[in-house]
Amino acid sequence: MAVPENAYDQLQAVHSPPTTFIAKYIWSGDHKVIAKQFLWGGLIFLLLGGLQAMFIRWQWAYPGQPVPVLGQIFFSDSGGVITPGHYTSLFTSHGLIMIFWAITPMMIGAFGNLTIPLMIGARDMAFPLLNTLSFWTWFMSGCMVLVSFMVPYGTAAAGWTTYPPLSGNAGTPGWGQSLFVLAIFMTGTATIMGGVNYITTVIRLRAPGMTWDRIPLTVWGQFLTAILNVLFVPVLAGGALLLLLDRWFGTSFYVAGALAGENAGDPILFQHLFWIFGHPEVYILILPAWGFVGDFVSFFSRKPAYWYKGSVWAMTAVSVMSAVVYGHHMYSTGMAPLLGKSFMMLTLIISVPAELLFLNWLHTMYHGSMRKTVPMMFALGTIFVFGSGGLTGLPLATITTDLYLHATMFVVGHFHLTMASAAFLGTFGAIYFWFPKMFGTMMDDRLARWHFWFSFIGLNGVFIAQMIAGYAGQPRRLYDPFQYAFTQQLLGINQITSYFAFFLAFGQVFFVYNWFHSIFFKEKKCEQNPWKVGTLEWSVPNPTPVYNFAKIPIVTCGPHEYSNPVCIKNLGKDWQGQWETLDGSEPQLPGAEGHAEDEDTDDAAVDETKG
Amino acid sequence: MELLNRLQLLWARLGVALVLFGMPLDVFAAVEKETGLDMPRDVSLDGHRITWLINITMWFLLILFVLMVAWMAVAMFKHDESHPAQYDHGDAGKQIAVAMTISGVIFLVVDGNLYINAMKDLDEVFWNFKEIDSNPDTVRIEINAHQWAWDMRYAGPDGQWNTADDVVTLNDMRIPVDRPILIQLTSSDVIHAFNVPNARVKTDAVPGTVNPLWFQISEVGEYDIACAEHCGSFHYKMKGLMTVLSQEDYEAWLEESSHQSALAYNPDDADSHWGWPWKEL
Repeated sequence: MAVPENAYDQLQAVHSPPTTFIAKYIWSGDHKVIAKQFLWGGLIFLLLGGLQAMFIRWQWAYPGQPVPVLGQIFFSDSGGVITPGHYTSLFTSHGLIMIFWAITPMMIGAFGNLTIPLMIGARDMAFPLLNTLSFWTWFMSGCMVLVSFMVPYGTAAAGWTTYPPLSGNAGTPGWGQSLFVLAIFMTGTATIMGGVNYITTVIRLRAPGMTWDRIPLTVWGQFLTAILNVLFVPVLAGGALLLLLDRWFGTSFYVAGALAGENAGDPILFQHLFWIFGHPEVYILILPAWGFVGDFVSFFSRKPAYWYKGSVWAMTAVSVMSAVVYGHHMYSTGMAPLLGKSFMMLTLIISVPAELLFLNWLHTMYHGSMRKTVPMMFALGTIFVFGSGGLTGLPLATITTDLYLHATMFVVGHFHLTMASAAFLGTFGAIYFWFPKMFGTMMDDRLARWHFWFSFIGLNGVFIAQMIAGYAGQPRRLYDPFQYAFTQQLLGINQITSYFAFFLAFGQVFFVYNWFHSIFFKEKKCEQNPWKVGTLEWSVPNPTPVYNFAKIPIVTCGPHEYSNPVCIKNLGKDWQGQWETLDGSEPQLPGAEGHAEDEDTDDAAVDETKG
Repeated sequence: MELLNRLQLLWARLGVALVLFGMPLDVFAAVEKETGLDMPRDVSLDGHRITWLINITMWFLLILFVLMVAWMAVAMFKHDESHPAQYDHGDAGKQIAVAMTISGVIFLVVDGNLYINAMKDLDEVFWNFKEIDSNPDTVRIEINAHQWAWDMRYAGPDGQWNTADDVVTLNDMRIPVDRPILIQLTSSDVIHAFNVPNARVKTDAVPGTVNPLWFQISEVGEYDIACAEHCGSFHYKMKGLMTVLSQEDYEAWLEESSHQSALAYNPDDADSHWGWPWKEL
């Protein structure tokens, strides 16, 4: 029986492949190409941010001593020694680069773009041109970041949080800080463009039968992330704009005290604006990884995701609550007691959905049939680091305990385990998993496992040791942390931490080699569905045609149908593709089977377009 | 240039402070160092509440962490390829109830313990400023933070701020043992944070705002004051010294310093009158 005439096919154009080099690789509207552009861009900035982290670690292990070899290149003006000025720029730009130019483009820009249309059965994003613009806006913002390193007085140095008045002209003079703030504004614009696109695509372009309870958790993660971005990045952009007005036009939105004279503003205003964005941002940087993990754990345990709807509700609850807990970053600012206590309560409550999500992952694995593939190892690693990072967030949630731990290395270790390590392992898991989709070949398994173990041990070593140093009282952001009687005994643990960091950095060599080798030199192509999983992107060939799906697929089941006895009996395999039926018949349009009531909106959309 | 000016100003203030108050240089004798990886020793009346709450929470977290790892280990090594997977969506009412119950119990025990104790400690101690302000025993200090030092001001015998008998010091805070110390804190340039780990206290110094904090120290000795908010290139050098004296030593020091201050007082030096009328809490 032929596939029934599918009105959905007429809704989305089948693009012909681009012919010129520029249309194919530079100014492309193809979401898969834009995904690769974001991935390359993000990897380059990840390397830069990682290098900066190594310099910071060098300084903390060997304060004031010249950096071997690289020092002569990067700190030649001071004989290879990192000066206090260099150091403040280093930790400031490390944080900003990693968040806005490494994790965001890789996890959201690359994998949001790659997975959303392919996993929901669409031929492209809803707005391909906006997608192109989003990438190039981000690209320009990245260029501004790089330029900021070359202007007099150097790049931004007021901390990644950019608190005024330090980030004002008097605290951080010169164009470097201004360029960086402007770059944040611009990359924010790019993020909003992407977010609008992702949200529209997920709502409007799902294939028939791809109901809300059948979309993969990866897409849920990206969808919720996009909503948070669209809601809260504008707040940051507004805050950044006011800061630029302060810097360029002498306004005093954020200036108070002796610097302000008569026209005092309020520095704390910036902190509110920053953290209304900033706390959702930490979920923005982890929700996509939660999505990957939720899917991978099910795929490679060959078992349906445990309580799928619970996971979706948990992720949604975290997203909804993310903006009402931000005050826990500001307990020491002299917050009104009632406000502080409210934020404390809300922050503790947000741990409940996170626990549920965790339990669902653990339950999914339990009584599964685990295949320890590379993406699964990365997913397990993500769970491990997110577990240790998430748990240690609790003593930072309550005011009294936070007043001791706030602004110590404990906080640094905690948030690097959650939003850095978990994002790192999650994203690399995604790279290994979707590499065949992107490049038509598998990455080398053995090198990938070396990369995993170096990264996993390195990340845990660094950030657990940082938490220990912070528990012992070491404040963060100190050029020479051993100034105080209560920190002088901590040189040893700082050196151990740095060795773990260098170990971690060395491990990335395995990835770099594997990446270039697999893309440019590996000839062996892989099969279409190498992981034997049932989400829609594996129903089409690699490399995937520009239009993804010649015929829009009709979705028959959820994304996690593994080890279904009926499936094993009828189809002879332990997984059911979302495009397959269990009796081997052709999938029917949802309306045809008599549950049109679910699909009213979609049918209406078809009619409108036809009319 | 600006930096140079600031440094000059800083240096001038340091000089003034040393001359005016005849500060004996031996107060910079070494502060007792910490050993090991534990929290710095707690020398305050109430710091133990924070230490206890952090430590008990860490034990809870360790237990949860071990359970998580054990669970993962069973899945990894026992439920591996040789183990047939269960076809189970985990969405039966009973399964949902189990998941909700586990989360609920963890929440009630771990988060509940944190919440109840933190609320109690805030109300009874750390944010209970009204009671401390009305305590006749309380020592009041105004602190103005700036890049990269702490100015401390004591009202002197007249109890009035910005008057001739005010004692003003630089990076040198002297307080009596076993008496509540109530500080009002601000900054004249960027945000700083007053941090004494040995007393488990930390409060931001925000320009344009006066923030209170209070603590009470139970051991005579010297302790470091650190800055806990990034405040520029020399943030790491922003160190003050807290000297805890016996009641008699403190009284003697305050009297002598106040006397010296009055002698050197210059009513035309507007810059040195940075104090403010004590803020009602």
